[in-house]
Amino acid sequence: MQEIKHVLDVLKEVEKAIISEDIIKLKDLSNQTIHTASISQDTDNILVAVLIYSISKVIERSNYREYPEWKSFVQSIKTHIDHAINFLENEDINKFRFEFKKLRKSITKLSGNFKFHVQDVFRKAEINKASRIYEHGISMEQTAKILGITIWELSEYAGTTGISNVNLNRTMSEKKRIQIAMEIFEK
Amino acid sequence: MKALIFDSSSLINLTMNGLIEILIELKKIFNGKLIITQHVKYETIDRQSSIRKYELGSLQIKKLLDTNILEMPSSLGIQEQEIKETTKEILSKVNSSYYAKEFMHIIDEGEASCLATSLIANKKKIENLIVIDERTTRMIVENPENLRKLFESKLHSRIILQENFDYLKNTKFIRSAELLFVAYKKGLIKLGKENVLQALLYASKYKGCAISEEEIREIEKMA
Repeated sequence: MQEIKHVLDVLKEVEKAIISEDIIKLKDLSNQTIHTASISQDTDNILVAVLIYSISKVIERSNYREYPEWKSFVQSIKTHIDHAINFLENEDINKFRFEFKKLRKSITKLSGNFKFHVQDVFRKAEINKASRIYEHGISMEQTAKILGITIWELSEYAGTTGISNVNLNRTMSEKKRIQIAMEIFEK
Repeated sequence: MKALIFDSSSLINLTMNGLIEILIELKKIFNGKLIITQHVKYETIDRQSSIRKYELGSLQIKKLLDTNILEMPSSLGIQEQEIKETTKEILSKVNSSYYAKEFMHIIDEGEASCLATSLIANKKKIENLIVIDERTTRMIVENPENLRKLFESKLHSRIILQENFDYLKNTKFIRSAELLFVAYKKGLIKLGKENVLQALLYASKYKGCAISEEEIREIEKMA
């Protein structure tokens, strides 16, 4: 793992933000992690970014609190993060990763609609974070690969964002590009 | 001989918009080959067959390949081994060009295989364009400095560009938006006249084509 200290600092902030239910802080922490992830493409950083964003979404949706398992699920997230921090402080990366795997596995043990919704939140978080990495300038295919999603999912999501309106994307006049397109069909 | 080389992003875009069969009509007037590389085939056909949501789209692309509307590079006399070797070289060069705290891995095999096929086709004097909707590959070739600036603005750190990509300078790109413009101008879109071009361009944009609203307005003026 790269930048252990950064991940550690972020996770400690995440713990506090979960307790205070500070959704904005959680999203900000996820974005911070994405900057690092765009450069290093380190799977641990990406895992943490997706996780934090997913947690922010789970906490944000107040109707989830009506599910009987909500309290115990949030408590289990806190416990897993606490354990992950301890493992990271002891530089035991394998156990740190395993703790996150256990957290993801705990979702499969939820029941009914709550399980379906939380799984959906995590999948959408992966697509959202992929879109952020693509926004940072990494190619669509490479981004899809590092997040474990498909180009189909990323294209569909990226198209709804403002990524394509960035001025720097423009690398040729539209007149010239249309000319190139028309010419090859006319030869 | 001439060819359009399709990246996954443009094929996926056309498919998600229900427009992939326009390639059948375009091929009739093109007098050239519509090419996909082995890796693009994997991304759009082979990999998707196990994902239900996109299975139909993948089957539609497969049908075009099965009926020779889309063809593999071997139809241009370009061998798979040659593409693999050139792809590897391109990946190595491109992914050690932008330095932040380390070199950034910015493109992957499908995109690099399109660049490789185009390079080889150029050497064989086969006129070609890459049809690609994602913006990074296009920026690397057409304005690598813009991509450096984009990285800097998003990552808030200094980025050093260590390559000028001269070896790729003859690579030309269009997007699904420009391809749809051609189809529209050639009368291949049978949806009447009113707002059709605008509808096509925005549909393309909203399924991931990296085209701005300003560029769309400019295309509309050229209709």
